[in-house]
Amino acid sequence: MTFVKRSGTQPLLIVAAACVIGVLVAEPASLRVLHDSKPGESVTFNRDIAPIIFHSCSTCHRPGEAAPFSLLTYTDVKQHARQIADVTRSRAMPPWLPEPQELKFADELRLRDAEIDLIARWVEQGAVEGNPQDLPPQPKFVEGWRLGKPDLILTATKPFTLPPQGTDSYWNFIFPVPIQETKWVKAVEIRPGDKRYVHHANILVDREEASRRQEKEPGAGFGGMEIRIESQVFDPDSHLLFWKPGTVPYVEPEGMELRLDKGTDLVLNTHLQPSGKPEVIQPSIGLYFSSHPATKLPMLLQLENDVKLDIPAGEKNFLVTDDFVLPVDVDLMAIYPHAHYLGKDIQAFATLTGGKKETLIHIPQWNLNWQAVYRYAEPVRLPKGTTVSFRYTYDNSDQNPLNPNRPPVRVRGGNRSSDEMCHLWLQMLPVNFDVAKGDPRMALQEALARHNVEKNQGDFEAHYNLGSMLQTRDDLDGAIREYQEAMSLRPEDATANNALGAALVARGNAARATEFLRKAIQLRNDYFDAHYNLAFALAGQDDFAGAAKEFQLALGIRPDDAGAEANLGVALAQLGRFKEAKAHLQRALEIDPEQPVAKENLEALKRETAEH
Amino acid sequence: MDAKDSMRWEFRFRAIFVLILLAVCLPCARGQQSAMDLDGHALDPLATGSGKVVVLVFLRRDCPVSGRYAPAVQQISKRFADRANFWLIYPDKSDTAQDIRKSVEEYRYHLPVLRDPQHALVKLSHVQITPEVAVFNRDRHLVYDGRIDDWYIDSGWARSAPTTHELEDAIRAASAGESMARNEVRGVGCYISDLE
Repeated sequence: MTFVKRSGTQPLLIVAAACVIGVLVAEPASLRVLHDSKPGESVTFNRDIAPIIFHSCSTCHRPGEAAPFSLLTYTDVKQHARQIADVTRSRAMPPWLPEPQELKFADELRLRDAEIDLIARWVEQGAVEGNPQDLPPQPKFVEGWRLGKPDLILTATKPFTLPPQGTDSYWNFIFPVPIQETKWVKAVEIRPGDKRYVHHANILVDREEASRRQEKEPGAGFGGMEIRIESQVFDPDSHLLFWKPGTVPYVEPEGMELRLDKGTDLVLNTHLQPSGKPEVIQPSIGLYFSSHPATKLPMLLQLENDVKLDIPAGEKNFLVTDDFVLPVDVDLMAIYPHAHYLGKDIQAFATLTGGKKETLIHIPQWNLNWQAVYRYAEPVRLPKGTTVSFRYTYDNSDQNPLNPNRPPVRVRGGNRSSDEMCHLWLQMLPVNFDVAKGDPRMALQEALARHNVEKNQGDFEAHYNLGSMLQTRDDLDGAIREYQEAMSLRPEDATANNALGAALVARGNAARATEFLRKAIQLRNDYFDAHYNLAFALAGQDDFAGAAKEFQLALGIRPDDAGAEANLGVALAQLGRFKEAKAHLQRALEIDPEQPVAKENLEALKRETAEH
Repeated sequence: MDAKDSMRWEFRFRAIFVLILLAVCLPCARGQQSAMDLDGHALDPLATGSGKVVVLVFLRRDCPVSGRYAPAVQQISKRFADRANFWLIYPDKSDTAQDIRKSVEEYRYHLPVLRDPQHALVKLSHVQITPEVAVFNRDRHLVYDGRIDDWYIDSGWARSAPTTHELEDAIRAASAGESMARNEVRGVGCYISDLE
């Protein structure tokens, strides 16, 4: 009888908090037709202002939405007329950070200069209502779930109470997805709770229940601005599932559905702003399923250079950059720049092989509160060899009013809101690739991991992720080398110990693997993968009693893991405990009727016991 | 007594009469024009709390910046309770007493509340924005009107914490009896004139 290795037993890829998609699609409001009024002519609400308001303001400024007051009628608008003139002139409203550029974004919220002038003139002239016949019909909005009743509605187990004052809160809600089989999601609607207090929210897909470890009790949620999720070796995040005020659910293009497996958690990362009174926030998520699986596989590529963020106190113009050469042709679908409170000028651009430079995004005055995912109106083709770059500047002086430290202090890269970040997420769809040469996303991910290692030998995650990529394509020696580099940087990291152990087992060095796997368990006792991998390492040294014990411990953590049940059965059979072995193999098949180890070994066991 | 004398007497008599009229009727005239408590009774906040500074805090229920200042206003009023009487003033004429009661309760205010639908207190205080405050000294001279502090820089732009504290400074100076010219620093929030 032989062991059939569980293919899923792999080290984990650490993926920093990606986020997911932003849907900046404004609802189909009435088309804005700017009345051609001449400078001397009087401006009226009904003819000139209502079309602008209905198109660019009412989506959020209506009951139940994020804005603090409605802008649906003449009276509504008049009650805020001067304020509207001010905030449109300063471009604080509607919130749209990027400068105009050649590559267009979908659903730009930016007002034209002529519209801003018109509002100012209307207010100067006394905010006249005008002829009722000129008033366009009010935009129609769908109440409740925008795409109709979702196929699955998830509600946060426990609400979060936002304190009335203090700094902004960052709270994460975990939503276990109660599905029994893989589903393909074509749209997600995020209902973040009371929209007036939620600045933005991101969904992260946690396929390993890794985030639950951060909860004090199940369903409680946990704090933190940035979260990290470990995921199985090569399953890169693919969608930006993002909510900000005004967001309406985005239906993924045909073939680009998001995969959700049984046992997946969705983690909603929210940024909440105190309102002056306590607010109870209890978000929900609506999922819309597709009948067919995805055929196109986009991925999120994250450029970052946080290690270079070491900003002296008082520094007004601290520059951080990164330049990454694409190893494959891609279509760029969406872009999501991210910095914290010191971020000032945020730029990303692509330099084509011929030298032509295209601005991908330019935000001259970054504001964390209005961060967003920006989707391109048309996919942007970036051929292999294109250099994708970012240039972010930071203002750590006391002249930056958003600087949380007074007087300014030295600030470095990190996950807390008081740390800084320089991240650029790019949703890319590889194109023009040869399927025979493998998944093009792996080429992208490996190139990025190499780039990060070259950029910074001291980057733990870069070494770790490169190791994972090498292991995935069976370069075990390369993987072991990179894991060792990672381990030398963080010897006490449970994940890295487990990964190195798993790679050594795969390389046939079970004896050496044992040391690291035991260390991983010592660091994190409820580490399923480490128990599972240690069981293999022990079995590889013919210690079947030890292997059976570790499989049992693994099952104590995940009782419904068919692979662990099957392998426990095999280990018991090796010990001659056939009756127990049979029970566990059968149990594995109850969990998963197709479990190959259980099927194969149960047959073998039947044959063997029949022979005797 | 000649004609000239009699004319002078008449003039003086009129002047005295007018002065008495002003002294007697100014507070009530002000009250009737506008400021009233939530039961509809005219009330002049400046006629109360003699010996203390009076602070009027102007709020709009639909103004998010007004809302976000609630805990700070409550805290400052508590800190200066021995020196200053605070009043919350709601200038939106479309607000009902019930709307205001609900809002005051939600924001956990423990301060007296007035409606100012005719904007008499607004005019008296020279305020333009919500939230802005007006500080009257013990002689009931307006010594400060404007922002509470510099927390907000512009609409949608707030610092992590304020770096100046105009309201507290004004209360300190006024309660210490320092002679001060009227000072003003405009706030960020919602225009009161948009309500007219």
